[in-house]
Amino acid sequence: MTEPRPRTDVLPATGASIIETRGLSKVYRSSSGAIEALADISIEVRPGEMVAFLGPSGCGKSTLLEILAGLIPPTSGEVTIDGQAPRPRAEVGLMFQQALLFPWRTVLANVLLPAELQEKTDRDWKARAHELIAMVGLEGWAEKYHWELSGGMQQRVALARVLLLDPEILLLDEPFGALDEMTRESLDLEMMRIASNAGKTVVLVTHNVYEAALMCDRIFVFTPRPGRIAGVVEIDEAQPRSLAFSTTTEFGERVAQVRGLLSGDSDE
Amino acid sequence: MSERTATKEPVKDKAMDQAGGLESGWKERSIGPIGALILAVIFVVTVELLVLNEILNDIIVPRPTDVFSALITTLSEGFFYRHLWVTTLEVLIGFVVGTVLGFAMGALLGISRRARAISYPYVVAFQGLPKVVLAPVFITIFGFGIESKIVMAIAISFFPVLINTMAGLTGVDPQARRLMRSLNASDWHIFTKLSLPSSLPLIFAGIKTGLTLALVGAIVGEFVGADSGLGYLLDVYSYQLEIPRVWAITTILAAMGVILFLFIEWVDRKVVFWQSRRELSTGM
Repeated sequence: MTEPRPRTDVLPATGASIIETRGLSKVYRSSSGAIEALADISIEVRPGEMVAFLGPSGCGKSTLLEILAGLIPPTSGEVTIDGQAPRPRAEVGLMFQQALLFPWRTVLANVLLPAELQEKTDRDWKARAHELIAMVGLEGWAEKYHWELSGGMQQRVALARVLLLDPEILLLDEPFGALDEMTRESLDLEMMRIASNAGKTVVLVTHNVYEAALMCDRIFVFTPRPGRIAGVVEIDEAQPRSLAFSTTTEFGERVAQVRGLLSGDSDE
Repeated sequence: MSERTATKEPVKDKAMDQAGGLESGWKERSIGPIGALILAVIFVVTVELLVLNEILNDIIVPRPTDVFSALITTLSEGFFYRHLWVTTLEVLIGFVVGTVLGFAMGALLGISRRARAISYPYVVAFQGLPKVVLAPVFITIFGFGIESKIVMAIAISFFPVLINTMAGLTGVDPQARRLMRSLNASDWHIFTKLSLPSSLPLIFAGIKTGLTLALVGAIVGEFVGADSGLGYLLDVYSYQLEIPRVWAITTILAAMGVILFLFIEWVDRKVVFWQSRRELSTGM
């Protein structure tokens, strides 16, 4: 039905991309010499799109995410978020593999952290935090500490925290990678439901082909170090998706296509 | 211990297991104190019998009953409290000043890489130095009064606080730091809302060591040269071969050390409340 799309690192310019990089590279200098982490990365992500950066460990996909988050600068090339140079700001939310909850703070206080750091008092953040805690399924847990929570629940708190300032863009660095498969799957689906309902743009870094194919509209497949874009796989299935999508032929074909790109067989 | 289990209503399976585990562990945990008490009784009775039967000379080891009556006599004498007060003052002032100095310097070294690089040789040199050798020096500088002992207590107690504060601040989880930066946190916020609280368990471990050492510093200072204080009293009784008195003062010093330690442990538990909970939840 759908022919494998031609390899396009860059979509035809629509002028409406929210994330854009051109010829971006990153070189780390260390005592043992220069390490090229990323080479010639040119991508565009449209508003509301969900994309994955997929590749083996050490391919620089997390580095790219950190560049997009404005935590580290690229060595060369251009990168813009919403037309601006990346910097940490409320419109961009970053989520990590670890929940990184502060043990001296309750669930509520952890969720409120972003507003506290921005010294925002323009709205009732407490009420919003309670809403989000309920939305991630932790109603009644606001006053608990992290040691009373399971790993999955801790990541739910981290999700509520990243959503507090209502960022347009969610940058997710293997957010549920440390959890067991079943918990990860259900949290993935729940997060994508939340994100697509709110029209958020999502960038998911993962090394899990199924996770990427289940959640994302497009998958950027990375080569091993230095990370380059080996190809882009587009997945035509409306969001939010259900687990049933993973049993379809479309899903299987796309997974095979991604695997082909990962193994360097770019004709797939 | 008991308040920890009692205050929170049991929450879901994991916490429920813990509460159950603690309840059934009550007998297990009381074995410690009861066993220790039995051991003390056995020890005291054995020494008493050995001295009574002249197997041990009572000039070398006094009878526990003599020590006990010496203790009562000491506690009923007015001048004892003057000496107790002097030592307590030396320890507390030395400890507080030492802790504040240690924290301030440790924070500076923890924050500034440059300050750390410059002071590193001095830190290593001072760490290797047995601090008690400074006692004669301080006495020549600050005299036989309370000042030299306070300085001694400061010198000996500030170092563990410095080291642990520095270690805590430099050991902050880099991922947590990244989270703070992604949330656009200022350096001040990163320090107050992340680095400092996450260093508190280590800082308190340093403070606990510092408190014990402050007592050591004050007593050593009094040994070397003083006109008052429990260390001075100990020295005098020892010269007069008032051995039961020596043991009585030693017992009082031990009690003082225990009270100070229990106090700081209590503060530690209140301030760094999440640490003990974490140990609890990992079954430690």
